[in-house]
Amino acid sequence: MSSLLPYVAGLDFSALPQQLTNGILLGAIYALIALGYTMVYGVLRLINFAHGEIYMLGAYVALFVSWLFGFTPNATTTPTISLHLVLAIMLLTSMVVCAGVGVLIERFAYRPMRNQPRIASLITAIGISLSLQYGGQLFLPVSPPPSISEKVNPFREPVGFSLSGENPALVTEAQNAKGAFEKTKAEYEAQKIIEPDEFNLSPKGVELRNAFQVQERNYNTLKGKATNSAIRINIPTGQLIMLLTVSSLMALLWFVVSKTSAGRAMRAVSHDFDSASLMGVNVNKVVTLTFIIGSALAGAGSMMAATFMGTPLTTFYGVQPGVKAFVAAVLGGIGNIPGAVLGGLLMGVSEVLVIWAGKSEYKDAIAFVILIAVLLFRPGGIMGSTKVEKV
Amino acid sequence: MKIKRNLTLATLVALIIPAAAILCGCPAKTDTDGAASTSTTTTPTAAKRPMPVAAGNTDSGSGDIIIGLVASLNGDLKPWGGDCEIGAKMAIAEFNAAGGLNGRNVVLKIEDSQSAPEKGKTACEKLISEGALVVIGEVASGITAQMAQSAFEKGVPVVAVGATRTDLTDIGGHLFRVCYTDAFQGPVMAKFAYEERGKRKIAIMTDKQQPYSTGLSDSFRAYFIKLGGEIVDEQFYESKQTQFSSQLTNIKGKNPDGLFLSGYFNEVGPIARQAKEAGLDMELYGGDGWDSRDILTSGGEAILKGFFCNHYNNYEERPEVKDFIKNWQAGNGGNLPGTTMGALGYDSVKLTLDALKRATALNSKDIITALENTENFAGVSGSITLKGAGGNPQKRALVVGLDMIKNQVFKKAYEPSEVK
Repeated sequence: MSSLLPYVAGLDFSALPQQLTNGILLGAIYALIALGYTMVYGVLRLINFAHGEIYMLGAYVALFVSWLFGFTPNATTTPTISLHLVLAIMLLTSMVVCAGVGVLIERFAYRPMRNQPRIASLITAIGISLSLQYGGQLFLPVSPPPSISEKVNPFREPVGFSLSGENPALVTEAQNAKGAFEKTKAEYEAQKIIEPDEFNLSPKGVELRNAFQVQERNYNTLKGKATNSAIRINIPTGQLIMLLTVSSLMALLWFVVSKTSAGRAMRAVSHDFDSASLMGVNVNKVVTLTFIIGSALAGAGSMMAATFMGTPLTTFYGVQPGVKAFVAAVLGGIGNIPGAVLGGLLMGVSEVLVIWAGKSEYKDAIAFVILIAVLLFRPGGIMGSTKVEKV
Repeated sequence: MKIKRNLTLATLVALIIPAAAILCGCPAKTDTDGAASTSTTTTPTAAKRPMPVAAGNTDSGSGDIIIGLVASLNGDLKPWGGDCEIGAKMAIAEFNAAGGLNGRNVVLKIEDSQSAPEKGKTACEKLISEGALVVIGEVASGITAQMAQSAFEKGVPVVAVGATRTDLTDIGGHLFRVCYTDAFQGPVMAKFAYEERGKRKIAIMTDKQQPYSTGLSDSFRAYFIKLGGEIVDEQFYESKQTQFSSQLTNIKGKNPDGLFLSGYFNEVGPIARQAKEAGLDMELYGGDGWDSRDILTSGGEAILKGFFCNHYNNYEERPEVKDFIKNWQAGNGGNLPGTTMGALGYDSVKLTLDALKRATALNSKDIITALENTENFAGVSGSITLKGAGGNPQKRALVVGLDMIKNQVFKKAYEPSEVK
């Protein structure tokens, strides 16, 4: 215990609000993908391992749409179209194409297997997943891995919320250092006009450069201290928009599932597949609708993640988020929609807290430790059903 | 029962997949790499390296002379493997056009490693069974290690193209490379950041899944501290991660004046973008893992504040480079090489052909001796001396900056003697 105290005292609590925000932003994407797993499981009792690959295809669709509008890697000029419109088209196309792919996979890979033993569908799902990962390399650009241009994203400046202001004494100190910094900078810049090669300077140039660098370090350190003295939450605008879009999609999903007749049919099928079918529910339609919704959500998630985070795409782009989201779905209680959202957020926040505690090398382990702990006490997941079904 | 059984299955899968993913995160690899970076084997003694016992291949005495190339023509490393192949073919064509070896043509047989170590090994074995006197390759350390081990059993020499892992050449006295090692490029970047850019407080981000990245971070950290600087923080991530905001938030709290990103370009680009968004608008430094045009798209504007260590640059003013670029453009529709592996592939073949010329007889043993005796070979990527170097040439390294039009811009060259 005594050795724990200095460790706890060493943690930067002023960064905690920011880190929790990071965790929610991260968890929102996990939750969005987890919804796809959990909905399909709820209706079909099938773990759709190809869901991560649908997510991957969504990112590629977004990439192709951005290329179509002229945001190619080699473009020297920025196209003069409304970026908001381009982003909206990217989002919609990704969702539509992903929904289509999801429906096709269900129709041709899972439906013929529906009356076979469950393990056959599971193996089919793994097979679809692998064939998209490896077969995708034949027709998708993977080498060099392309990424969506930053230019398509108009939301690059972060939005800030201040929880407490900067320490005025530190601000003044930084202001006082600014003068010397700017003076030496101007002197060095003037010297650079005479000596353009800044890596091969004359003794006088080196002297001016060193003087400038001393002031630069001093000023930047003081400025950084002043900035860090405030408790602020900075959210990259892109990620804020992502969070808002994810929230509204989830609200829409909740409305569809709980307030419409299609949603009622879905809940009925989820409750008892065979009885629902006997009661006149068209189960094939319900299953198709489930795949449409789940896949469209994955497409929306990957379009935003790929656009706002800039990750280069390969056909394995969906593997890591897919595994994380699957764990989130199990954690929350697979088959349970609010559970998937809760599981995703819990995963995101716990991962971030581990990093905040300075143990970034264990960040993936923690999610699984939580998962094991939850499953030991609640085998159905946090919000999953614990009732024992009679045979 | 049905539901229960399925849940058990789901739980099992849930536990096995991530567990496998974590186990594949290769703590073992990191260990061996830690050992590699702590033992400063820039110049291992030749005696330390075991010599192969097998006789190797012998030239038939008539017809074409066969050498082999293993290149990553598919998979993740394709941009590097493709450039390497073009460079290697260029060197062979020039050699044969100039009369070949005593009037005989040299033929380069090429096999694809698909960027995978085990496939590289199979490719290497195939080339040896087809009579290759020397096998050239690969662009990455993991594949080269597998190739070198199987070639050791057969007694055939290997000339590595872009494998920088420091302890690689300990495998055997038959293995040589034409590039510098990670024990050199880390200190080069530390010296550049400290002396040229005046940085004193650097934060490091390391890809804990890549032995390359952990080794490079170690060598950078050691030298930067030796110079008098401070490493204020080190954060870890793993390959294929997409969001880095939490690690960057931690780093921001430590108030550094520069970032060292030791990973590969796939993650470095997004880190640069997200660092800027998180308010870490500062200079970035890295190793030759950044070498790709794609980093300009994935890194956006933020990456333009980056400097990294490379083997060669298209805009150098040396005559070797100018000739190389002229010939490359003639054969490739006026395009410049996209990565440094074009020049290194060219150099590795040229160096091999030079050794063939000097060898007393055309068999593997004498060629190993001739390679070992290479002195002041004028390569496109700099002068290469292998005599007494234990397979690791003491070569210059370049620090380059990034530019939207020119891609990589030469900034400063460091000779091995400058970084002690």
